[in-house]
Amino acid sequence: MVSQIYPTTLEEALHYLKKETCHIVAGGTDLWVKHRNWANTPPKFKRNLLYVAHLEALKGIKKENNILSIGAMTPYETILNHPATPDILKACLMELASPAIRHVATLAGNIANASPAADAVLVLVALDATVEIANESGRRIKNVKDIITGPGKTTLEDDDLIVNIRIPLTPFTHTKFIKVGGRKADAISKVAFAGCANVKDGALKDFNIALGAVNSTVVRNIPLENTYKDKPLSELKREKEAFLNALSTSIKPIDDQRSNAQYRKRVALNLVSDFIDSL
Amino acid sequence: MKDISKAIHKVDSDEKISGTAKYTDDYVMENMLYAKTVRAMVSKGTIESIEFPDLPEGYFVVGPEDVKGENVVNMIFDDWPVFTKKAINYLGEPLCLIVGPDKATINAIIEAITIQVKEEPPTFDFTDSATHRHFEKGEPEKAFKDATKTIERTYETGYQEQAYIEPQGFFGYPENGGVTLIGSIQCPYYVKNAVMRSTGLKEDTVRIIQADVGGAFGGKEEFPSLMACELAAAIQKTGKPVKLIYERSEDMAVTTKRHPSKIKMKAYLNEDNTIKGLKVHVSLDGGAYIGLSKVVLSRAMIAVSGAYTFTNLDVSGDVYKTNTVPNGAFRGFGAPQMLFAIEMFIEHVAREVSEDPFAYRMHHLAKQGDSTSTGGTFRDPIILKPMIEKAKKASNYDALRRDYQNKDVFKGIGMSLFLHGCGFTGSGEADIIKAKVKLKKDEQDDIHILIAAVDMGQGPKTTIRKVVSDILNLPIEKVHYPNPDTLNVPDSGPTVASRTAMIVGGLCARAAEKLKKDYVKGKEQTVHETYVQPKEMEWDEDAMQGDAYPAYSWGVNIVEVEVNKGTYQIDVLKMTSVYDIGKALDEKIIEGQIHGGQAQGLGYGYLEVMNHKNGRIEQTTMTDYIIPTSVDMPPMETYIMDNPYALGPYGAKGAGELTLVGGAPALAKAVEQAIGKDIHKIPLTPETIMELMHHEKN
Amino acid sequence: MKKTEFTLNGKAISLEKDPSKRFLDVLRNDLGLKGPKEGCGEGECGACAVLIDGNIVNTCILPLANVHGKTVTTIEGFSETRKFEVIKEAFKDEGGVQCGFCTPGMIIATESLLNKNPSPSDFEIRIGLSGNLCRCTGYELIIKAVKLAAKRGEGLW
Repeated sequence: MVSQIYPTTLEEALHYLKKETCHIVAGGTDLWVKHRNWANTPPKFKRNLLYVAHLEALKGIKKENNILSIGAMTPYETILNHPATPDILKACLMELASPAIRHVATLAGNIANASPAADAVLVLVALDATVEIANESGRRIKNVKDIITGPGKTTLEDDDLIVNIRIPLTPFTHTKFIKVGGRKADAISKVAFAGCANVKDGALKDFNIALGAVNSTVVRNIPLENTYKDKPLSELKREKEAFLNALSTSIKPIDDQRSNAQYRKRVALNLVSDFIDSL
Repeated sequence: MKDISKAIHKVDSDEKISGTAKYTDDYVMENMLYAKTVRAMVSKGTIESIEFPDLPEGYFVVGPEDVKGENVVNMIFDDWPVFTKKAINYLGEPLCLIVGPDKATINAIIEAITIQVKEEPPTFDFTDSATHRHFEKGEPEKAFKDATKTIERTYETGYQEQAYIEPQGFFGYPENGGVTLIGSIQCPYYVKNAVMRSTGLKEDTVRIIQADVGGAFGGKEEFPSLMACELAAAIQKTGKPVKLIYERSEDMAVTTKRHPSKIKMKAYLNEDNTIKGLKVHVSLDGGAYIGLSKVVLSRAMIAVSGAYTFTNLDVSGDVYKTNTVPNGAFRGFGAPQMLFAIEMFIEHVAREVSEDPFAYRMHHLAKQGDSTSTGGTFRDPIILKPMIEKAKKASNYDALRRDYQNKDVFKGIGMSLFLHGCGFTGSGEADIIKAKVKLKKDEQDDIHILIAAVDMGQGPKTTIRKVVSDILNLPIEKVHYPNPDTLNVPDSGPTVASRTAMIVGGLCARAAEKLKKDYVKGKEQTVHETYVQPKEMEWDEDAMQGDAYPAYSWGVNIVEVEVNKGTYQIDVLKMTSVYDIGKALDEKIIEGQIHGGQAQGLGYGYLEVMNHKNGRIEQTTMTDYIIPTSVDMPPMETYIMDNPYALGPYGAKGAGELTLVGGAPALAKAVEQAIGKDIHKIPLTPETIMELMHHEKN
Repeated sequence: MKKTEFTLNGKAISLEKDPSKRFLDVLRNDLGLKGPKEGCGEGECGACAVLIDGNIVNTCILPLANVHGKTVTTIEGFSETRKFEVIKEAFKDEGGVQCGFCTPGMIIATESLLNKNPSPSDFEIRIGLSGNLCRCTGYELIIKAVKLAAKRGEGLW
């Protein structure tokens, strides 16, 4: 039987993390599915459990300068209802799982779980979001994109705890989130698209294109995006095929019980193409 | 006299809404034990040895050696063992139960079991025919020789999982020298007969009680008999109450599903391009054991003409044994597969000979007096023409069909026409079921409806009580119809085949009329009624000739869709339908049945994907097996047109399955128009649509 | 962590149980409440749902630890309220109940929705119920029932 820790403060939590290898439990909606057991028997956990969903220090949404700072344990529903939440994140959360899940699930959980089909992660990567990570020794800030390295894999150390998600509030003129799931609600993405653009006076000021569920991590090619930034929008539109070809080299989806690689790839490119057309 | 169709509150809503309805897992008893099934890990093989760890006190292995009677699950075909001894024929096949008081301990025991199996090469293709059937109508050989043209197509349908929200389960205990089982079931007497056979216990010591059932749709028709036989052995061995409830992923992996099918259609045409005759072959994937697959095949074959009449037919079919989970009953029972094929085929033929598909179908439409596919007669009025008119008007079909021909618009509208034979196929009612009902009036003049019919949501508790209370002119509160308990009710037959309202309700109505005539206030009276086959109905089971059903219900479905050019996803915009079920015994209950059946029919057409890979079902969770959510359902406009059936209570015919069988072809036809390609296979996933639109193969 | 303390249907509860235990198992086995049901065990069908601080939550994937300090209402507790009566009558009038297995979850979802949005549109109702799977009804009459409850319950939410 594993140890279960219910810290009363953040410091206590960080202290335990230093001492023991734990599953960090946020809403629990991924962990309790992954480790589920027969009804009325303990879930199959091999690591100790550290519960943090109740820590007030990890809750709350603040707007500081031009950054929206979301406490790691803020449930999706709260984020969805906050006026400062970017539209594209709202669009994503509205379609994510179900109302029941949205009342307890968190961005931190979505990031740490690191599923290639994670929808919130996709939008955070498109928004250039960062996370503030704490451990007993101190804090550091990392790009969400950089800390996820593969399915279920992050660069987080055993003693790390995500405390904050920070979203730069860039004034985009066009944002689009498209989730392609098996049905219209309560579905896991086969392919997902998040696009943000800032078109000003015919010039492309910001251009962020991210694709989910088509590789082991979110597909985003920032150098490729940069070749069209601060250039006339017409250039991107003219070179759309070249852009799609270049992006497609990072699109390496799989066949699974939900869909196949061919479909995922073609649809992903269709969605990017449509977004460019819409600018 | 008030119109029986007028809706009343369902009599069992209060307990269901407040959460006090009692489903199988809600039953608890002191000293209750739990059971879990140990299953085969390969698709085909022979067990060489099973080694169990030392069992703690109070824990038991219950296996084939504990089946005191016959180690066979009583179904129509006797090939399904309760526990297999040596031969493994599908992945997940039950080997034994581990029974005991603590679930974690049971898990640990199962983990410590070692099984030596000699694996053998499994069969997954259609080569091992376990049953072959054939019938003809007219003079097919001659007709086909004279035909000016032939058109051939093949159609395929996939698995469909019933996905009732309540997983399968039983709870049972020793009683009266035998066993009493409470379960989530459709057929108390199927279970009783199976348990008597597997335990050797006598009739008066096997008692089956229906718990409230959280959905069934055919999935709890024959499969529960297997669980019941296993549980009965466990109860006999332990002498204690035992509960066996499946986990969802277990239920999805090992319980019976709709038979996947491959149907070859060949049309022989006259000079004027009309259909002279059809030659059809139906292949069904039966899975490892045949169970009642033969009857599914029969119904599928008999549905060959759909809503049409053809002069010449040569129809054959095979159920193939494969090393996969055995398939079985699911609402429609072979008809959804066949109706998809004939509905798509008749339009494909029309298009190939450049005829207007709608006019072509109207030309072949069945009429009263026509001979059926098996040479019986459509004795009763068929009101398809006014139904079609009504459906077209309500859906704006003609205008939209015209508009959506535009190649730049990815929208489509499609119409399916279909029927469903009510009741057991052929002489089943008369020869096999021989339904009996009992109506008892107690000294307080309360009426007790004693039948084995199960209310699993479709409402007989309300409708049959309505019928009886209306005939006897009593308030419905004075009429009682508890969950069937074989101790108290005669065998009125299984709750299947769209027979409950028409046949069982009909018998209850006759019994009520009899009681009314002989009514004595304050005296206990009992009336029995037994099924009598309508005299004109003649059926030759071996030749499959004659009247396959006493009555037919009819339907028209119109589905409008939009296909997304970028994602190839289908958006179902609207579904319009008109049904002839004789007479609605409650219009709200019928409305609910229509919506639910249509949701399943649409799901069958485009959402519900289930495959196996080397015998392993790939979608075994509610996450991976996609059924519609509230957001997926289109607005549904539905109508009932009365066409009373003389031998049905208040004119009622069967309705339970009809509302599912037309959805998939209507949807497929709409998608065909939207993408400009012929469709031969369901489910129509976006992946399939992409392939069709780009001629790509995966 | 020794004790988990919360309010359940108006009563203060203190439990010394494994904090990782699924709250559904706690409700059904330790507290004898059979209203919440196991349909899927993976948070997909909503048959296990209860209200936590007025919001719908799936208890089959909810650890007991995360219930500490919360206010829990199961269908049993909710059925003692005036709001329940309005919802119940609407479900009965519209014929929104068939096998009943999803129904307690649907009632919980209705309350959770109306708490936030007392006059939802048809689409908003569909979204509000999107985490509750029903296999019998095709949802249509349930949606009508929720609409009717919202209309009749003016002032209650």
